[in-house]
Amino acid sequence: MVHSRRAVWAALTSVLSLVVVAPGSYADETCNSPYITNLIKGQEDYVHVWTLGVQGLGDGSDKLVTIDAKPGSPYYGRVVGVSAVGGRGEAHHMGFTDDRKYLWAGNLDDSKIFVFDVVKDPAHPTLIQTITDLPAKTKYVGPHTFYALPGRMLIGNLSNSTDKGGVTGLAVYNNKGAFVTKYPMPTKDIGGVTGDGYGYDVAINPAKNVLLTSSFSGYNNYMRDLGAVIKDPEAMKHFGATMVVWNLKTMQPTQILSVPGAPLEIRWNLVPGQNWAVTAAALTSKLWLIKEDTPGHWTAKDVAVIGDPSKTPLPVDISITADGKGLWVDTFMDGTIHYFDLSDPQHPKETYHKVVGKQVNMVSQSWDGKRVYVTSSLLSHWDKTGTDNEQFLRAFNWDGKLLMPAFSVDFTKEKLGRPHHMKLTAKPTQQVALASAGGS
Amino acid sequence: MRIAGLALGLSAVVLTAQSAVDPGAATAPRMEFVAPAAGSYQLQRIQPVRDAILLTASGTPTHLAGVTSRKITLLTFFYTYCADPLGCPFAYTTLTGLRDRVLAEPGLAGRVRFVSVSFDPTTDTPQAIGWYGQHVSADPRFEWQFLTARSVSELMPVLDDFGQDVSVETDAAGHPTRTRHHMLKLFLIDASGEVREIYTLAFLQPQVMFNDIKTLAMETERATTLGDQP
Repeated sequence: MVHSRRAVWAALTSVLSLVVVAPGSYADETCNSPYITNLIKGQEDYVHVWTLGVQGLGDGSDKLVTIDAKPGSPYYGRVVGVSAVGGRGEAHHMGFTDDRKYLWAGNLDDSKIFVFDVVKDPAHPTLIQTITDLPAKTKYVGPHTFYALPGRMLIGNLSNSTDKGGVTGLAVYNNKGAFVTKYPMPTKDIGGVTGDGYGYDVAINPAKNVLLTSSFSGYNNYMRDLGAVIKDPEAMKHFGATMVVWNLKTMQPTQILSVPGAPLEIRWNLVPGQNWAVTAAALTSKLWLIKEDTPGHWTAKDVAVIGDPSKTPLPVDISITADGKGLWVDTFMDGTIHYFDLSDPQHPKETYHKVVGKQVNMVSQSWDGKRVYVTSSLLSHWDKTGTDNEQFLRAFNWDGKLLMPAFSVDFTKEKLGRPHHMKLTAKPTQQVALASAGGS
Repeated sequence: MRIAGLALGLSAVVLTAQSAVDPGAATAPRMEFVAPAAGSYQLQRIQPVRDAILLTASGTPTHLAGVTSRKITLLTFFYTYCADPLGCPFAYTTLTGLRDRVLAEPGLAGRVRFVSVSFDPTTDTPQAIGWYGQHVSADPRFEWQFLTARSVSELMPVLDDFGQDVSVETDAAGHPTRTRHHMLKLFLIDASGEVREIYTLAFLQPQVMFNDIKTLAMETERATTLGDQP
């Protein structure tokens, strides 16, 4: 198995037609839901990493790993907390609730959702609830994106429990963990484009009352050995090629945009007067701009290539700067992080790149843009193998021109697993809980 | 008269305020779209309101469930000396504007109420919220309830149930001050006591909120017509 997967990756890098898509991350401190308050706009204290367990490595369990990220701390760059959830369910992405008190972390295999309290002791998040009824309530599986709405969590899913293909939908839970409702991804023709019904990321522009969704692939592909997927022409047909524009208030799809090549992460520029979004199509290695051309009508246009598409670099995660003028892009295959100047969103220009490791997937930046964090794992069945299977979190300082290494944590050496999605927290300063503030 | 009262209330707020700062998004909400027509959509059923005992402005214990049912209710938490321009004062500007629109809508005025609950029972005594309500929001044509709690411990379950965060700022020595940090939230509750929408700052779009209120009113009318109480 191991050597065959390595051979598969080697073949993949040299064969353009053998395209795969990789689910990257949703969100970082500049890319959270606009409904989240208490954003950290200064120095973060901790990086939380939702980590896939690896059989035979440590306890083998999926876990939330907490790393001290505050310069000057005696534990800077070291693991300070591990909260194992027991078992392996393909740990993947996370999202804060709107009050930033709780972190919801999802599994793509067993569809469990774990809720951690990250306020009481941010260094040691506490598992307070496990939500297990998503498939029963919705018939959707593979909870991917966790996007805060006021008092609720909007969940973008990847698959369904009936045929485990890519047709899926959105689910809404309240912050107590109770199911509220669901919305199927459209499969009909809207505006001349037929929906594929696939799902992946979700992102909202409140001022425009617009929800955007993107599309990836179903359980049958993302939980299958990569070699088998790319050798199966039928399986390779089952990747998303659309984005959907929704009326957020009515939760009705209003437009389907043709965006071939599996559009993954969506990032809005919410600066007043901007109101455009970008996404990266993994299969074609292109950046797309989603923009309102006339009131209420949106268009999608490919505006740049990422790396050398002929080498299938696989852009996975993207992270937009707080001012919307820059974009980090991770390409999994060549382990490279790219920086694009987005000053002119119609013509993004790559101004910097750096090889970070043998494989990279997630990228998160601090609100001030001065620190950048990168992790390595894509999916348990899709990560590289052998010596290419590096598993790390690497932190960098960014001065606007160069990424300078800050610290690195080897997740294999530390017997933790495969590091995936990251979130940042900080200890509250000069605040106490109302209940402990005294008074009658 | 209302404008004068509001100005008086706000000036008092400013005078008594400390450095209240809501750490949430520091921009006023923008609305660059046409609000969907009332009744053209369904609001999600987010959660039921759990009952609790609070105090009215006259100091009388009252059931929260009694003022979050039988009418469409817009509930928010506040404290009388909050001065963050995008916090409580902003909420009241929004609410008073909505109240005037509701009053101007035939058949809607008697079916809507506002409820404001203080999350500082120590300072916001019944007398204090009574004064505040009279000077900031009084209008005999409209039901606007101001409530407080007998104690923080009796208030906490209410805050937890709504998911309303609040913390207390401390001074340099670590002692609690009077300043509360909170995320501004308004809860739209239907006549059966179920939360149907939650507005945080990015969502405080008065036209949308007004249409949501009308949507719930139309939903009740349809249910009544069908003989099925909401």
